[in-house]
Amino acid sequence: MNAPTRLGPIQLTKATVNFDDRFTLSEIDWTITPDQHWVITGTNGAGKSALAAVLVGVGEITAGSVAGLPARVGLVSFEAQAELIAKELKKDDADIMDVISLGTPVHEMIFEHCQDHELAQALVEKFGLSKLLDRAFRKLSTGETRKVMLIRALANKPDMLILDEPFDGLDADTLAMLQAHLASIVDSVPMVMVLNRFDEMPDFITHIAYLDKDTSDPKNPNQGRLKLTVDKSDQAAFNELYQLLHLKSTDLTVPGTDPSNKLPALDPSQPLVRLKDATIKYGDTVIVNKLNWTIERGQHWQLSGPNGSGKTGVLSLITGDHPQCYTNDIFVFGFQRGKGESIWQIKQFIGYVSTALQWEYRVSTSCRNVIISGFHDSIGMYTKSSDNQKKIADQWLDLLGMKSRADQPFNKLSYGDQRLLLIARAMVKHPPLLILDEPCLGLDDMNRQLVLALIGKICQGSETTVLYVNHHAEDRILGIERYLKLEKND
Amino acid sequence: MANYFNTLPLREQLAELAKCRFMHTAEFADGVDALKGKKLVVIGCGAQGLNQGLNLRDSGLDVSYALRPEAIAQKRQSWKNATENGFTVGTYEELIPTADLVLNLTPDKQHSAVVTAVMPLMKKDACLSYSHGFNIVEEGMKIREDLTVIMVAPKCPGSEVRAEYVRGFGVPTLIAVHEDNDPKGEGLALAKAYAVGTGGHKAGVLMSSFIAEVKSDLMGEQTILCGMLQTGSILCFDKMVEEGIDAGYASRLIQYGWETVTEALKYGGVTNMLDRLSNPAKIKAFDLAEELKQIMRPLYNKHQDDIISGHFSKTMMEDWANDDKNLLQWRADTAETNFEKTPAGDVEISEQEFFDNGILMVAMVKAGVELAFETMTAAGIIAESAYYESLHETPLIANTIARKKLYEMNATISDTAEYGCYLYNHACVPLLADFMKCIKTDVIGKGLSLEDNGVDNARLIQVNAALRSHPVEAVGSVLRGYMADMKKIV
Repeated sequence: MNAPTRLGPIQLTKATVNFDDRFTLSEIDWTITPDQHWVITGTNGAGKSALAAVLVGVGEITAGSVAGLPARVGLVSFEAQAELIAKELKKDDADIMDVISLGTPVHEMIFEHCQDHELAQALVEKFGLSKLLDRAFRKLSTGETRKVMLIRALANKPDMLILDEPFDGLDADTLAMLQAHLASIVDSVPMVMVLNRFDEMPDFITHIAYLDKDTSDPKNPNQGRLKLTVDKSDQAAFNELYQLLHLKSTDLTVPGTDPSNKLPALDPSQPLVRLKDATIKYGDTVIVNKLNWTIERGQHWQLSGPNGSGKTGVLSLITGDHPQCYTNDIFVFGFQRGKGESIWQIKQFIGYVSTALQWEYRVSTSCRNVIISGFHDSIGMYTKSSDNQKKIADQWLDLLGMKSRADQPFNKLSYGDQRLLLIARAMVKHPPLLILDEPCLGLDDMNRQLVLALIGKICQGSETTVLYVNHHAEDRILGIERYLKLEKND
Repeated sequence: MANYFNTLPLREQLAELAKCRFMHTAEFADGVDALKGKKLVVIGCGAQGLNQGLNLRDSGLDVSYALRPEAIAQKRQSWKNATENGFTVGTYEELIPTADLVLNLTPDKQHSAVVTAVMPLMKKDACLSYSHGFNIVEEGMKIREDLTVIMVAPKCPGSEVRAEYVRGFGVPTLIAVHEDNDPKGEGLALAKAYAVGTGGHKAGVLMSSFIAEVKSDLMGEQTILCGMLQTGSILCFDKMVEEGIDAGYASRLIQYGWETVTEALKYGGVTNMLDRLSNPAKIKAFDLAEELKQIMRPLYNKHQDDIISGHFSKTMMEDWANDDKNLLQWRADTAETNFEKTPAGDVEISEQEFFDNGILMVAMVKAGVELAFETMTAAGIIAESAYYESLHETPLIANTIARKKLYEMNATISDTAEYGCYLYNHACVPLLADFMKCIKTDVIGKGLSLEDNGVDNARLIQVNAALRSHPVEAVGSVLRGYMADMKKIV
């Protein structure tokens, strides 16, 4: 394999980089030589993704210098993924043409502008996307979208690979496959990864950059600093960093709920959810085939299955977000679906977090309002909130360490911080059914522990039944004893 | 069939034109009750048809789709849209006789044929709804006496109708009852329930009449919305190229400029759009707009007069009957304009630059909006209607041009809008020939090059006062206020 000759060292010297006035990285000193592979890690909101983005030329350099940026970068990140989806939505002319548009097909996303067709083709097969090539990109599941992004980046003959949380959202098989592939190309392309899970760090990583929030200026909380860089071969420094990342979370109390937001009583003799022969299909493609599933009150479930096995589909049959909930035999919260109930009568019993929800939560509202919107099952706020609801929201913000940001706009937060708020939104009304679809995506180690502890607490209580979707075996939750594994329908 | 409006005595014509009132939230206390348990059959499964149907079903109503037998047999897109979303689909013969409410959501031009086919199949005392009144008012379609006829028209594209509903909100909606067809006096109750079912009541409902809707909608779309933007695009582009500005830059400035400046219009009216300019540029834009208004006023009057008298729809329907000869010729001509043939250059134009270098475009939007509004209100149309059909909808068309340029814009808007745009453009281009001779790049392409931004105090006060006191601003701030109250809290 040839070492890349096009790339010299990348040099950031006392660089201060401003991102649309919503975030600043201050005085970064950092050198990357072509033989190094870095991991960027740190707390949520410290600017990990921002630092990676600097390498792609994003942000305005207001002081210091940035030199030697690579010409062609392969980039995978949630932000880039969300941007691509938003672009697809914008391309959707349904609104003006009065026709339903299908969007760009997967093969076009992958092979148009592709530098290495052979590699792309091989990866398509390895990732199991061959059957999805004609599907519209925006109809893919979260994990499948991720795979497309990865193939695009890898097959672009990049001078440098920037992978922001590349492993999140991938099932175990795909994860192993990707790690093996990356290990096989370490000599040909330098990599920079943003990883929230320290334990996921591949062996070939040589250096670690650790970022933390810069709290020196209380008026401007949105600042990050590069706190330290560690050569992985330096064992002492590495251990110190490891400890730093495993700080203990404080004792937890889940904030109370709003007594004025009282739900209609449920019949205790009925299950919360009963799916009978539930089937989801698109055209002739069957995604879920005759699934029978009953969720009794107080039975906490963990749902798993490979990417594309229909996990999110099944959940949206329950929440009523899937149009085929009307063609299936579904009983939820005392309603047989399709008998004149409204979707809001169903949603009032559910708290919900998923990646899709985060994509849809594209409204400009404050962090506090995002939490309060959980009382109303809305995206954004369209009714006045009570003082008590505000008080409860502030308790949640305190718990998440985001008190100072109550009035800041939600859409300017980092992905991980947004995720934390949406989790609080789902929990705020202590719903009879709490659906957490891969809730820890994008969270750093500390916040992941916090969220898992919160879920554990909620499982111990009697009000809420938890339905938890996760790929990561280590994110097990005390109190969840029932497991449902979906298989892919081939 | 004869023009319905022309059969009415003047007294009733004026009363119908002046109908428009913003309804109070309390008027929707009965929710969807008036339609509960009834059978709703939608005709047409494009973006409006499908998305309205999804909302109505999620509100607990019984919705199915009647399609033509060819669409079903050939599994056309409309069939796929309906079945993949789990709706019952059938032929007119199968479904219409069972319907309590038939929702006609096909394009205007098909209304005569569709209604003629559907009416004999409808059961006694059922209700027929429209989303646009052209067929009733201009074509003079007579509906069976036992049938109730209503209109429910969400004032946003279909995809937004759905997206806002899913968020827990809705889009502004216009409702009306056809007085000649309200045998049981239940038209209003049905229209209100329909509006609630689509979520419209959360964003504001205007109670209007078939006549006010048609006469104002036609006027808005053919003058300011499509006509002015089309004419302005062609004139501004040719002028810039003639003055030596790079054609790619000129093309981008226009294609995306309308969208950018009308975004400011959407948020804060004409005042805010001009406030985005520097003081000297604002005064310049104001003066240009005054001159444009003086030149174009007779043209706006002629359009309004022809719409009120029915002359416009008569000539248009003659062209329909003549295989759209005029229209198709014009559509082909549009494809040949230099603006259409020059792709937007690969240059970056900042948001503010669109204002600074597009002073004439701002002036054209101001002149067009105000003239359309003034002409409509002078013809007896009430200010609220005039506002929605001029200022409120301009950003939608601007957005279409940004994505599709002119040719596709014309192909995607309704046939009535396109024909009106054709008439307007033909008259307006020669009308503005002398005016355009005096235009230089300071107002289109390059921006004012001034030593300093000083202006005369008295003149600025005068201009600001004139801007802020225009009647479209008064009604606009009230209506936008209602919207904001409902939409954004805190």
